[in-house]
Amino acid sequence: MKDIPHFALVLTVVACFSAGSLAWLNTITRPRIIAQQQQELDAGIMQVLPGSENGVIKAVENDGTVSFYKGYRNADSTSLIGYAFLIAPQGYSSNIRTIVGIDSSCSRVLSIKVLSQKETPGLGTKCEEIRSGETAPWFQEQFRNKPYADLILDKDGGTIESITGATITSRAIMLGVASRMELLRDELDIPNTMIN
Amino acid sequence: MDFQSLFVISIGAIFVSNFVLSRFLGICPYIGVSKQLDSALGMGMAVIFVMSMASVVTWSIYTFFLAPTQANVLYLIFMKGSGSPPDLTYLRTISFILVIATLVQFVEMVIQKLSPGLYRSLGIYLPLITTNCAVLGVSLLNIDSSYSFIESLVNGFMSGVGFTLALVLMAGLREKLELANVPKAMKGAPIAFIMAGLMSLAFFGFAGLKLG
Amino acid sequence: MTLTKEFLKGLYKENPVFRLMLGLCPVLATSTSVNNAIGMGSATLFVLLSSNIVVSLIRKAVPGKIRIPVFIIVIATFVTIVEMVMAGFFPALSKSLGNFISLIVVNCIILGRAEAFASKNSVFRSILDGLGMGLGFALAMIIIATFREILGNGTWLGIPVLGESFNPITIFILSPGAFLTIGYLIGFFNWFESRRLAGK
Repeated sequence: MKDIPHFALVLTVVACFSAGSLAWLNTITRPRIIAQQQQELDAGIMQVLPGSENGVIKAVENDGTVSFYKGYRNADSTSLIGYAFLIAPQGYSSNIRTIVGIDSSCSRVLSIKVLSQKETPGLGTKCEEIRSGETAPWFQEQFRNKPYADLILDKDGGTIESITGATITSRAIMLGVASRMELLRDELDIPNTMIN
Repeated sequence: MDFQSLFVISIGAIFVSNFVLSRFLGICPYIGVSKQLDSALGMGMAVIFVMSMASVVTWSIYTFFLAPTQANVLYLIFMKGSGSPPDLTYLRTISFILVIATLVQFVEMVIQKLSPGLYRSLGIYLPLITTNCAVLGVSLLNIDSSYSFIESLVNGFMSGVGFTLALVLMAGLREKLELANVPKAMKGAPIAFIMAGLMSLAFFGFAGLKLG
Repeated sequence: MTLTKEFLKGLYKENPVFRLMLGLCPVLATSTSVNNAIGMGSATLFVLLSSNIVVSLIRKAVPGKIRIPVFIIVIATFVTIVEMVMAGFFPALSKSLGNFISLIVVNCIILGRAEAFASKNSVFRSILDGLGMGLGFALAMIIIATFREILGNGTWLGIPVLGESFNPITIFILSPGAFLTIGYLIGFFNWFESRRLAGK
């Protein structure tokens, strides 16, 4: 029993030393991690809203959190290209964080980009696969300029080719895009008749 | 309470993404303690118990001490009304593993005191569980999937059940394997891995389950 | 034991993966590509080497009864350092390894070496032991990943090696492939070892 103060002292010293060094390292790496995520998001938005490279992107907030982004062709923000939003639908084994760009009338997808996912290697991860000789992931390219009404997988009679062996992943991304588009339309008060 | 989502979590944890066969967590005890059916069951029960407890405790630690929310206890006590809550999530790994190690030790002592019979059957497996990555794995998974308290508990329990299922199936096969003529170099662990591969292949069948 | 042997034992004779069969979870889970294997291998090597050094340095100041919790804190600290540095400087790798970086903390080799070797030996010997064991682990991961990536994806480190006509056997980068590959490799090393001993 008389050893207990000694034990406590040793453990406290070790724990303090460990917590101190981690706190110090955190002050260095944290800003980098945050900056990286922001940069990844910005680059993603620019990529899914073609033409916004020379314009501006504005975040639209709803209840204090960013709901979606508006992308403009020019710097004085008069010529609207469309909207971008982040979705993270539940795939097979992970949430597939994806950034989606749609046109200003909310009727057509412009382009999508998967930012991060941890799907099954060799199956679901193919949503980011770039076929040899091509420059962009083939699965995501299928969404380019796709009208809302055509967001249907081949398995359900549509035209979007699903990933072999990873229907859950394919469907999750497709439904994620479609359902968030519908919500955005409500948010912007665009009547549903416009897209049907 | 939404029973449907709990059901989906359960089936997912036991079959679709089985801890051993699809997530690769807890491989060491899976190969090490699967030689006999009895010890496999004992280990399985100990893991189910510790995984459920660990899920609950680590979830609470994360939500009330580490996450940058208004409910953070440290924020409420020390920094009330001054600035935003601190983000201590980088201490996740270190705090979880210490809590799990302490918890296992504590459980061991309690069982020893309360039920010597249970201690005799589970006791020897408990120290092995601290370094069983399935326990830390399920704690991290609960946080990653942003599960609620109840969902974390169910996920922890059911993942333990999934682990036990894989372990018991393997032990049953290995008892039969004693009688088979296996090439000398493949005896023991190698043939166990080959069988695990085939089982994992079979569990792929569950991927087709349409849930939710 | 001579210093050279102290270093070399981890590479083959006491290889953590093929001979001792320790720390297999990350080996199976992150050997889907050679790139991931190198990342995971170096992260483990770093943690193993650093914890061996620190444990050996403080071995006389730590009372025997609380050595395990102290070792766990030391190891967890280094794992968190790896986590933060990887997320800050190698975001792509950090994403693909995911939680398995945190799980290095429960990798049996690291606590095993701290307990069985570093807590009883000088700093210099502990460095050699950590380097040898860490490299042995990393090499084993790369060997397994080589088989899995070539057979399962037709590439090695992302470079196509089997030509267009090869149809990848996807099962090898899925979970069954991990079990099959490691099973046959351990079997091979058992056979090789018994041949070697018989030849002596």
